[in-house]
Amino acid sequence: MTRLTRRSVVAGAGVAASLAALGSGRPASAQGSKKILIIASNQDIPNFDPHVASGYSAAMLLRNTYDSLVRAEGNPPNPVPHLASSWTISPDGTEYAFKLDPAARFHDGSPVSGEAVRYSFNRALRLGKGNSWMIAGIVDQNSVSAPDAGTVKIKLLKPFTAFLQVLPWIWVVNPALVEANLGSDDGQNYLRTNFAASGAFRVRRAEAGNLYEFERMPNAWKSGGGNLTGAIWKIVRETSSQRLMLQRGEAHIAVDLTAEDMDALNDKPGVVEIVEPEYRTFSIKMNTRHGPFTDLNLRKAVSYAVNYQALLEADGGYADLMKGPLPPGILGFDPDIEVYRTDMAKAKEFLGKSSSAAGGVKLSYDYVSGLDQERRFGLVLLDAVKQLGLDLEIKAKIWPDLVAQCSKPETTPDFFPVYQTANYGDPDNIANAAYGSSRNGSWQNPVYSSPAVDKLIEQGRSEMDEMKRKAIYAEFQKAVVADAPDIFGVLEKRKLAMRSEVKNFTFTPVASNAIELFPLSLA
Amino acid sequence: MLRYTLRRLILLIPVLVGLSVLVFAVARLLPGDPVRLAAGPNASEAEIRNLATEFGLDRPLPVQYWSYATGLLRGDWGVSIYTRRPVAEDLRIYLPATLELVVAAMLLAVMIGIPAGLFAAAHRDRWPDYASRVFSLGAISMPRFFLGLLLQLAFAMWLGWLPLGGRFPLTEDAPATITGFLTIDSLAAGDLHAFGLALRYLALPAFAMCLSPLATITRMMRASTLEVLQQDYVLTARALGLSHRLILFKYVARNALSATLTIIGLYFGFLLGGTVLVETVFDWPGIGLYATKAIVTQDFMPVIGVTLSIGVLFVTVNLIVDLLYGVINPKVRYE
Repeated sequence: MTRLTRRSVVAGAGVAASLAALGSGRPASAQGSKKILIIASNQDIPNFDPHVASGYSAAMLLRNTYDSLVRAEGNPPNPVPHLASSWTISPDGTEYAFKLDPAARFHDGSPVSGEAVRYSFNRALRLGKGNSWMIAGIVDQNSVSAPDAGTVKIKLLKPFTAFLQVLPWIWVVNPALVEANLGSDDGQNYLRTNFAASGAFRVRRAEAGNLYEFERMPNAWKSGGGNLTGAIWKIVRETSSQRLMLQRGEAHIAVDLTAEDMDALNDKPGVVEIVEPEYRTFSIKMNTRHGPFTDLNLRKAVSYAVNYQALLEADGGYADLMKGPLPPGILGFDPDIEVYRTDMAKAKEFLGKSSSAAGGVKLSYDYVSGLDQERRFGLVLLDAVKQLGLDLEIKAKIWPDLVAQCSKPETTPDFFPVYQTANYGDPDNIANAAYGSSRNGSWQNPVYSSPAVDKLIEQGRSEMDEMKRKAIYAEFQKAVVADAPDIFGVLEKRKLAMRSEVKNFTFTPVASNAIELFPLSLA
Repeated sequence: MLRYTLRRLILLIPVLVGLSVLVFAVARLLPGDPVRLAAGPNASEAEIRNLATEFGLDRPLPVQYWSYATGLLRGDWGVSIYTRRPVAEDLRIYLPATLELVVAAMLLAVMIGIPAGLFAAAHRDRWPDYASRVFSLGAISMPRFFLGLLLQLAFAMWLGWLPLGGRFPLTEDAPATITGFLTIDSLAAGDLHAFGLALRYLALPAFAMCLSPLATITRMMRASTLEVLQQDYVLTARALGLSHRLILFKYVARNALSATLTIIGLYFGFLLGGTVLVETVFDWPGIGLYATKAIVTQDFMPVIGVTLSIGVLFVTVNLIVDLLYGVINPKVRYE
């Protein structure tokens, strides 16, 4: 017979209390009157400085806490008023005059003036980090002026047709706050974790590596928008966990889903999948300045040997094949351009003309460790080069090592897979970043350099006439394809999934994973 | 015992110095360019050089180490080159989260494993013994991350009883930080609701972590108990007519515990350094994930900081285990 002892009674009471406590938790998604959107992403936000931070997670934080002169909206993206309610452009495209919205206010209540815009542009240029590359060489410290509090004039150093497209990414800071916390580094230490902003939201809670909570400003200057009272950017490293959170309703949007995750979410109740073409290319760069690929014939041989259908299948059905260096839908894309497709006869013909015709060449393919897509592409490439009697060494490396390797032609691998995502909806973005020689030494374009292509890029940047721009970019595409500096791979579609209770989401093919909170609502 | 304790604490110093030299050298000599990565893809060569100077990375390695070591003595564990946050501040946030997980896992493992081992030994070669053997084999063989995924599917997705991951509901404010242990902090705040939430979120990751040490503790306890059961004094106690339960719990268990204590101390260290997979699956913001991110970005200050922290904790826990021998068995003398 079991004896009822004091010890057993106390133990039993403890168990009962624990069980009661365990069962007292509220459902995960219950929010009461709050409308807090939860976004699951695997990317952290280590820096809040609008003139330093980069990456899509930083873009998400900045576009919701700061404001810019204009915003990008729609598909294709077009600039729409934001801090600037209207603007004029001189006929030669070098002078812009913006009228600021008189309602615009920083979080401390002070007005967003022309002087604040001038200060912000100059700070971005001085620091030379973050998104400043978009305006480097286009404006300088004397370009921006504020003739009165409500007006900003910008005189470009040279015409830059995409200027309005880059403005959404140049954020305006409160000069008084920055100056009060300048330190010795132009306020970088202060703005790394603090804000001098005017946006509709502010950061209520920041837990590095875990989550960032936004709350709607009670007296935001911009009226309208959705019904969100706040949002949480939750760091969820495993995409399968993002998917499960979405299914359970613990997250409303998941931004890093793989093809397998999307397949698993098909027909799941309460889940809406967004699969859209984006200005995002995935190509395999070849080292045109060192090693076997200095030989154009070898580059063409490999370009014809690749099994492009296998590249497509390796992406799980959520991609299209690239047709040259520019993505479809962007201004100047030429749908009729002739590109490389699998043709072993031509591949062998060009191999025969190359200096590697005798074979015995070992090529290197270095990819980012953990990116399975790149590993699969490497296997497709292995199959291709084997058929040409060449060999391929596939190595996974961590990103910092690959970035360091790309700084010199001698250390850049023979093959280097790269995702290029357009920051703004203009062909100049990809043309300049991925094929301009000014980017040599960086991971975006480690080695490729062509004076003819550089000239076309410069012409495209400064030509105001749209028809002439299209002709320039058509020539640019032909020139790049003829040079075969890349194996033009796939255009990955953006894969997002969200709960059906998320309303008013509009897809824009630029920074679509940097979710803009203002227009969104939760049903 | 006091002299023994002091001697062990003093011996801790050369251990930590050696560990810091080793980790510092390995972290700094690894190939790659963390400065270039931290500066960003659009940084100029001048900016990269300035950043290297700012972090003292252009100085000779021994000078860098001396600067770091003297900083440690002042409580300065360095600054992350990637986030620019003091490492000490990050450790204050992430270390308690991992400690809470590890302590919970070890508590589960000890509370279940020791009685299970006793029970299996007491029912040797009968079904409870066989069941414990099968269970132990399965538990040791099961990878933690896979178990974590299965637990998520079963308890979060299918049954809906427990949350998928994290430490606390996203839309609720956690209790004020005192220890960094959400369970303790919520009790300290008198918030039973928060305590319950913290336990719910802790349950699955702690269980995923506890299974391997639980199995080992069970097996070790069983083996030790069987050995002690053969001792003369046990036979004498039986001959004197003492009950089986009294002999097992009063005389056998304490003597069988010594070897198991060693395992508990060792497992504590293993778990501390091996939380990254469970933390990844359950999005538990601990030092496992923190260290992994630092390794991938070659941010060596956090890597060194995490390694030293784990080293200190490991040695401390094993010192406590050594001292507990004397508590359990008064015949143990420290020299």
